[in-house]
Amino acid sequence: MNTRIIISIIMISLGSIAAMLPKTKNSSIQLKADELLREMKRQTYVISADELADLLINQDPSILLIDVRDSVDYAQYHLPGAINIPLKELLDPEWAPYVDQISQKNIFYSNGTTLSSEAWILTKQIGFRNNYILGGGLNKWFSTIIKPEFPATSAPSETWALYETRKAASQYFTGSKAADKEENAVILPPIPRKKKTRVQGGCS
Amino acid sequence: MGPIVPLFNVSNEINLLFAFIIGLGFGFVLEQAGFSSSRKLAGMFYGYDITVLKVFFTAAITGMLGLIFLNFMGLIDLDIIYINEYYITSSIIGGIIMGAGFIIGGFCPGTSFTAAAIGKIDAMWFVAGSIAGIFLFGEIYPLLESIYMSNYEGAVKISNILGIRDGYFALLLIIVASIMFWIGELAEKKFKREDISKEI
Amino acid sequence: MDPYIAGVLLGLVLLASFYLTGRGLGASGATRSIVVSGVSAIAPNHAENSEYFKKYLHDESPMKSWLVLEIAGVIIGGFLSGAWAGRLKLKVEHSPKITSRRRIMLASAGGLLFGFGSQLGRGCTSGAALTGMATLSLAGFVTMLAIFGTAFALAYFFRKNWI
Repeated sequence: MNTRIIISIIMISLGSIAAMLPKTKNSSIQLKADELLREMKRQTYVISADELADLLINQDPSILLIDVRDSVDYAQYHLPGAINIPLKELLDPEWAPYVDQISQKNIFYSNGTTLSSEAWILTKQIGFRNNYILGGGLNKWFSTIIKPEFPATSAPSETWALYETRKAASQYFTGSKAADKEENAVILPPIPRKKKTRVQGGCS
Repeated sequence: MGPIVPLFNVSNEINLLFAFIIGLGFGFVLEQAGFSSSRKLAGMFYGYDITVLKVFFTAAITGMLGLIFLNFMGLIDLDIIYINEYYITSSIIGGIIMGAGFIIGGFCPGTSFTAAAIGKIDAMWFVAGSIAGIFLFGEIYPLLESIYMSNYEGAVKISNILGIRDGYFALLLIIVASIMFWIGELAEKKFKREDISKEI
Repeated sequence: MDPYIAGVLLGLVLLASFYLTGRGLGASGATRSIVVSGVSAIAPNHAENSEYFKKYLHDESPMKSWLVLEIAGVIIGGFLSGAWAGRLKLKVEHSPKITSRRRIMLASAGGLLFGFGSQLGRGCTSGAALTGMATLSLAGFVTMLAIFGTAFALAYFFRKNWI
């Protein structure tokens, strides 16, 4: 009987504590706010215009450009091979195969960095991986690649080399053959990310 | 953060190793509790030995509180762990048939393996019987399929049905269990059977 | 061992199972895997055509499943405990009021019912009742009440076999 009383007291005490605990909803996949801030500070998810030009010229198949502006802006101009997912539709199920996958790098871009950063934070928070943004957006793209800045005559040779590279890239993207590249852009079938699913168990 | 196997993509082999180790603990504790004896198990229903009540409810409560506290501390994700799926008809009818099997056979599958492990021949026959029973179920399944699949409610939790917090329900269950332990121990004194208790 | 302590230990094993693998304990599923393996070995076509058994046929052997490994552990764990406590003995345990033979018949009949019922109920006392209660699942509670309620209700009719 002694054990019974001890056990009963312990159980009732612990039970009372448990009864007062709030209903916590854990998401094992959700990033905590401070982790998110750290990532943002490190800026590892930003791809520069030069890097992107390089990837596109080399026809890197592992990237997917996602234009997060609205469809009107997209129709007016978009980067070669980019698909259009307006920011407000980013979480729609029809786009899930493109956004929620682990095989390709998604590079969000917009005119500047506001919309693309928002897209990145949104998807990072939910737990989607492999998401990047184009640093500086289309504005930077234009001023760096399409219309690179002509260096001053006293500039060091590296700056001239960079200019030459950018000029060549500009040719690639705006020259007479630029339109063909659009059709050749490869979009691989995405591999979906493993979602949080309940474990099978019991005697089944 | 748990559970470990699903979240860290642990290989199937390690998962099976965990299963084995957990089984070792399970079997050891069952046998230590004396559940390798059908007469001890049956004692629950005749009053002379309420070990089943004590072990069963203490274990369920420990597990329940454990999950609640681990969840609160952010160490386990309750959305991922297995929750039994509720099929109203088959749960009840299956339970009734199992209840009959329990009082006639004096074992349940887990305890029958434990008892067979220490040499109880009746437990081995129970295992044989359960193999036959499962085979029989499989053979007449087409007749039972509609019953088996009817009234599916999903993996519902009691706390959701009653609209109260998990911890609150746990406390209620603990209070009920404490009362049951008290009444049970009184019953043990009243229905005492020294002759049986000596042997098991 | 004191039953309450044993209960706490069992609860901790259950908790460990959830923390490590995300699932609770079980037993009847292992017996089912044995049945499916047996049927598949003796009459593979029959197993594949059977509505129920074919659900449990996978590329790998049904014996390479979580529950079967767990039950293997249960058997060894039980054996070790029995050996340590000096309870190892090959015998038919029965009330002095009935014969060995009767006890074996009852055990077999009980097993038959329990095996059948465990499939219908999607679990046994370990998988449905114990694990189910720890996760606060309604199915667990209902099954637990059905099992124990029925056993209590029928206890009177089988009393001669036990006391």
